[in-house]
Amino acid sequence: MVENIVTLLLALFLGIGSLGVVFSRRPASSVVSFFAVTISIAGLFAILNQTFLFVSQIMIGVGAVVVVTAVAVATVNLDNRGLPSESRFSIPMVVTAVTAIPLSILLYRSLVSTMGDSFPQVDGSFGSIEAVAERLFGHWALPFEILSILLLAAMAGAVAIARKEKK
Amino acid sequence: MIWNPHFFTALAVFLIYIGIVGLAGRKNLFVIYLSLELMLNGINLAFVTLSRARPDMDPAVIALLMVGVIAAEAAIFLAMIVHLFGLKRSVNSDDFRELADGRSR
Repeated sequence: MVENIVTLLLALFLGIGSLGVVFSRRPASSVVSFFAVTISIAGLFAILNQTFLFVSQIMIGVGAVVVVTAVAVATVNLDNRGLPSESRFSIPMVVTAVTAIPLSILLYRSLVSTMGDSFPQVDGSFGSIEAVAERLFGHWALPFEILSILLLAAMAGAVAIARKEKK
Repeated sequence: MIWNPHFFTALAVFLIYIGIVGLAGRKNLFVIYLSLELMLNGINLAFVTLSRARPDMDPAVIALLMVGVIAAEAAIFLAMIVHLFGLKRSVNSDDFRELADGRSR
């Protein structure tokens, strides 16, 4: 019963936040809405028994990504004249909103066909840091190492892009 | 009773849908970037729902790796936005047409 109420609240938070991201005019409002989305995603991870993912989403999703985005928005510091002039419901947006519906239905049905009707019972160790580490450093060790190289390349690329070119 | 795999999958697909709409419908580079983030978070939620519904830890590990990919994507994309803003003092994606076809408007 409790999980139903919490799920409903998080889903409301998530829905309002995601609509706010796309339909806000100012980037700062979008970032605040995105903050709500990441927090509620973390809450949904927690209610699905993934405690370690919950912690990592809070630390990386909220602590790193949202903060870096807010810093970038503050750095660019647009006033109302600098924003692109766009109406709230432009023609590309309406066309995409209609044409993406069949894709979403297909995605939903194919995902649901791989799952049962209800969540099975799991013991307390499911989703704990031990369970994640066992799989991560056993079966998924190579992707994990490749990810470290990707992060290094992303860091070098970000520095290379942001560096001022010599005149 | 909404605590079931179908509801969580519907939430994940909703995030992906909203992300697609924002990606195609908005011109502000920041909103385009945040729409991409929404889609990646939706995919993550789908993975975690799959992990809980099977139950199996493999999709959760993929979701954990995805969190790292999201962080890398954020670093590159934000550096690019700040750099592009420095070039033209604009975050309107229409001002950067030459990135697509190699010539200015």
